Amino acid sequence: MDDRKIIAFLCNWCSYAGADLAGISRFQYPPNLRIIRVPCSGRVDPLMIFEALKNADGVLVAGCHPGDCHYTSGNYVARRKFALVKSLLKFIGLEEERVQFDWISAAEGKDFAVTATKVANDVNKLEKWDRWGWSR
Amino acid sequence: MGVEQVNVLDGIKSAAREVLKENKAEVILGFTKGTLSNKCTPFFARTSQDINNLVWESGCNLNLAKYLLKTKKKAAIIVKGCDSRSIINLIKEKQIAREEIVIIGAYCPSTEGCPHCHYPDPVIADILISQKSEEIEKDSFNVNNENSLNKEFSTDQKIDYPDIEAFSAIPREQRKDYIYQEVSKCIRCYACRNVCPACYCKECFVEENLPGWLGKTTGIADNMIFHLTRAIHLAGRCVDCGACTRACPAGVNLSILNRKLAKDVKVYFSLETGMDLKEELALNEFRQDDPQPFLIGGGKDG
Ligand code: SF4
Ligand code: SF4
Ligand code: SF4
Repeated sequence: MDDRKIIAFLCNWCSYAGADLAGISRFQYPPNLRIIRVPCSGRVDPLMIFEALKNADGVLVAGCHPGDCHYTSGNYVARRKFALVKSLLKFIGLEEERVQFDWISAAEGKDFAVTATKVANDVNKLEKWDRWGWSR
Repeated sequence: MGVEQVNVLDGIKSAAREVLKENKAEVILGFTKGTLSNKCTPFFARTSQDINNLVWESGCNLNLAKYLLKTKKKAAIIVKGCDSRSIINLIKEKQIAREEIVIIGAYCPSTEGCPHCHYPDPVIADILISQKSEEIEKDSFNVNNENSLNKEFSTDQKIDYPDIEAFSAIPREQRKDYIYQEVSKCIRCYACRNVCPACYCKECFVEENLPGWLGKTTGIADNMIFHLTRAIHLAGRCVDCGACTRACPAGVNLSILNRKLAKDVKVYFSLETGMDLKEELALNEFRQDDPQPFLIGGGKDG
């Protein structure tokens, strides 16, 4: 079960730095995450999430807390998109745990490890993902 | 169709003649008889002679706003509810200029095909030929904000999404099977996108190839990604005109994706698209206190 792949889109300024801090601080988390650094959570086009699910079993998207965006409003813009994406995926029959979102700051190394662990455990517990019918 | 609709057609024709005569437009966008019975075809009337060929009947069920985008000339357009809402969005998205077009509005002649439609009346019109509801605003410039806020809550009973509620209630696996089955019929001809008045991008993501975002196969995966992404691109913009579903040669019906997102936009952001020239489109703005139910832990930031 531990071979499940999770794509993590992390914003450069907060969540990626949070992941870095988790590493430097030697907080353990499962190895399922494949991290992709993006300039801002606002850069995470829903298309990237849908495409990721063609080749991975889960997706995590994380960015700066609302109010702390390096570009002032990127994560606010992202927030509206994510609310719709999450709801749409649930509607068409995906498990809620398959795609998850969180806000993680550069100082929250511990929180990053906690979130990464939670997402990996959640996805590992789910039924095998068919990768949009790819592996049916 | 009854006497009433003939009168409406007469009204439309004389308004159109008037517009041409007074040089307010060089072309009138309307419908004429199609080659199939009960399917009308978009029609560009340029002369008084042409105007004789206009029709207004149940087959007039595509969205004419699409053709405004391709008309270089000063145009008048004959609209029902959904076309008028698309026009509002196109003005807001700066694809057409309000002062360049003349809007001739009439109550929708094709309501039976759209059981969930709440807006058969034109929302915006310069010349209004017929309408069902009493409280229509001739021009939504006049809608004052306080009222529209109140309306938002009071229309809650009126605007329901029974089909979306019903679909959400069936078991998860069955929902997924249904969507997969629908999507697997798609031959990726893009007719749905091509008729959609909100799909006017010079380069659509499906054709981009540096990087090639989307696979070109008609496998379920690529089809899924196409339809989900298009649905998201139309979130807060789709007026539920049904043109995409009608245009599909493969019988794909995924209108529930668009309607689900319209419902979410209403629930999360209290917005309803194409009703008002002033209101921002849902994904063009944000609020500090937007809901974030999608977060791990349900939004610990409040
Ligand atoms: S997505 Fe379909 S229903 Fe929505 S505006 Fe476009 S053509 Fe009309
Ligand atoms: S599907 Fe998206 S990218 Fe393509 S034309 Fe429509 S809005 Fe534009
Ligand atoms: S019109 Fe139908 S077959 Fe063509 S791309 Fe759209 S859904 Fe697929």
